[in-house]
Amino acid sequence: MIKFEKVTKQYSDGYVALQEINLFIDKGEFVSIVGRSGAGKSTLLKLIYAEEYPTEGRVFFNDRPIDVIKRRHLPYFRRNIGTVFQDSKLLSKKNVFENISYALEVVGDSNEEIAKKVPKILDIVKITDKAFLYPHQLSGGEQQKVSIARALIHNPQVVIADEPTGNLDPVSGWEIVQLLMRINKFGTTVILATHNKSIVDNIKKRVIAIDKGRIIRDQENGKYII
Amino acid sequence: MKLLKLSRTLKEGFINFRRNGWLSVGTISVLAISLYIVSFTLLIGYTANFVLQNIQEKINITVYFSPEVKQERIMGIKEKLAGFSEIKSVDFVSREQALQELEQLSSRNEVIKDAIKEVGGNPLPDSLVIKANNPDQYEIIAKAIENSVFRDDIININYEQNKREIENLNKIVNLIKKAGMGLGIIFIFLALLITFNTIHITMYSHKQEFEVKRLVGASNIYVQMPFVFEGIFYGFFSAIISIIFIFITAKYISSLSQKMLGISSLMPFYWSHFWILFGILILLGIILGVISSFIAIRRYLKV
Repeated sequence: MIKFEKVTKQYSDGYVALQEINLFIDKGEFVSIVGRSGAGKSTLLKLIYAEEYPTEGRVFFNDRPIDVIKRRHLPYFRRNIGTVFQDSKLLSKKNVFENISYALEVVGDSNEEIAKKVPKILDIVKITDKAFLYPHQLSGGEQQKVSIARALIHNPQVVIADEPTGNLDPVSGWEIVQLLMRINKFGTTVILATHNKSIVDNIKKRVIAIDKGRIIRDQENGKYII
Repeated sequence: MKLLKLSRTLKEGFINFRRNGWLSVGTISVLAISLYIVSFTLLIGYTANFVLQNIQEKINITVYFSPEVKQERIMGIKEKLAGFSEIKSVDFVSREQALQELEQLSSRNEVIKDAIKEVGGNPLPDSLVIKANNPDQYEIIAKAIENSVFRDDIININYEQNKREIENLNKIVNLIKKAGMGLGIIFIFLALLITFNTIHITMYSHKQEFEVKRLVGASNIYVQMPFVFEGIFYGFFSAIISIIFIFITAKYISSLSQKMLGISSLMPFYWSHFWILFGILILLGIILGVISSFIAIRRYLKV
C-alpha cells in the first residue's frame, strides 16, 4: 500500500533527515515507528501525506508515486489519509460537533450528509455526550478522540498518528492507542509514530525503529528497542 | 453542490470581513478614497464637457457698430452676413435693447446701476450677434468681418475674448483631469497594497483553520474563495461610500456652476449618468478587491 523506494530527504539547509529508506507497509497493518527525537519519524510521515517530498527516491501510495500528483489534486489525495498530531489541532472557536463537521463542510458534503455522518463517528470514538462542548472544556484525551474522529470522517485508508499520546497521561494515552487499534481491526492501516516505550511494547505489532535517518530495525511483534 | 460551496465560502468570507473590525474600516476608507478620486476625475470630465458644450452653444460673435452708422445700413450688413453658409443666424440688438438687458442683469449690482446713471443717456452701441453652424468656424467668420468692406463701421468684435476664455477653461479642465488621474493611480496602488495587507492579516489569523483544511483535504475553492469574497466585500462597500460622497460633491459642483457660470442646474445631467457611474465604481471596487485577494493567495497559500 505504502512503499518507500531508496528515499532520502535532505532539507535546504543541508540537514539529512532520512537516508536510503526502503519500506513497505501493507493494507490493514498496524505499524509503530519508534526513535529518539530528531530521528526522522515525523519526516517519514510527512512524506506519506505529501507535506514534504523526497530529495531522492520515491514514495508510492497504492502503487502510484506521490510526487506525480499535481498540486491541485493533492486535497483529494489527502482525503485518503487521516492525520492525528500531538497537539490535537482543534479549532478553539468551534465545538466538538462543529470541529468534525468542518472537515466535511470543506470537502463539499451537504448539511444532510453531515448530520448523518458526524453522530456515527462520535459514537465510534465514544464522545457523543461531549458533542457540544468546546475544546477548552475537554481533557487532553478527549481532545485527541475528537482529533481521531475528524481523521476518520472521510473513511481514510490510512490513519497517521504522530505522537498522539505525547501530551497525555499514561491512562489517557493508552485509551487513545486502544482506539487506534480498534480502528485498525476494521481494516484501516494505522501508522503510529511514538517514543512511548510501554505503549509500543504492549501493542505487540510491527515496530520500525529509526535512528539518525535510517531504519535500524523492522520487526513483526516488535518491541521498543533503539 | 456548487451553490452550497458558494454559500459556505461566501459566509466564511463575510465572517472574516466582519471580524476584522477596525482593520476593515481602515481598508474600506483607503479604497473608498481611491474610488472617490477616480470618480471625481470622471465627474469633472463629464461636467466640463457638458459645460463647454453649453458655453460653446452660447458663443457668438458680437459686432459693435459705431454710433454714426444708421440702422438701415446695419440691417443691410445683416442681410449680407445671413447669406454666408458658415453663419447660422444673425440677430440685430439695438442700443435700447442692449441697455434694457444690462439694466436687467445688473438690477442687484449697485455699482453698475450708479455707473449708468452717472454716464446718463445710453452709451451702448447697436450690434449684430452672429452664431455659426460650427464653433470651429468662428475664426473664419471673425477674419472675414475684419477684412470686409464695412470694417470701418465696426468699433469692436468680441469673439477673441470668448475664445480666450474657452481656451483657458479647456486648459484648466485638462489639468484637473490629468492631476486627478495621476492622483487616482497613486491611490489605487495604495488601496491595492492596503487591501492585500489586510487580507494577508486575515490569512495569518486563520492559520489554524488553514492547517486543518490542508490536512483534511479541503479543495482549493474552500481555501481560496473566502478570501476572494472578503476582497469583494471590501470593494463593494468602498464603492457605496464613494458614491455617496460623489453625490454630495456633484450637488456642490452643480450649485457652484450655476452661480459662477450662470448655467442651469447640472443635477438632471448627473442623474442621467448616475447608473453608469454607479456600475463603474462597483465594478472597479470589486476588481480591486479581487486583485488584492489573488495576490495575497498566490503569495501566502501553498496553492
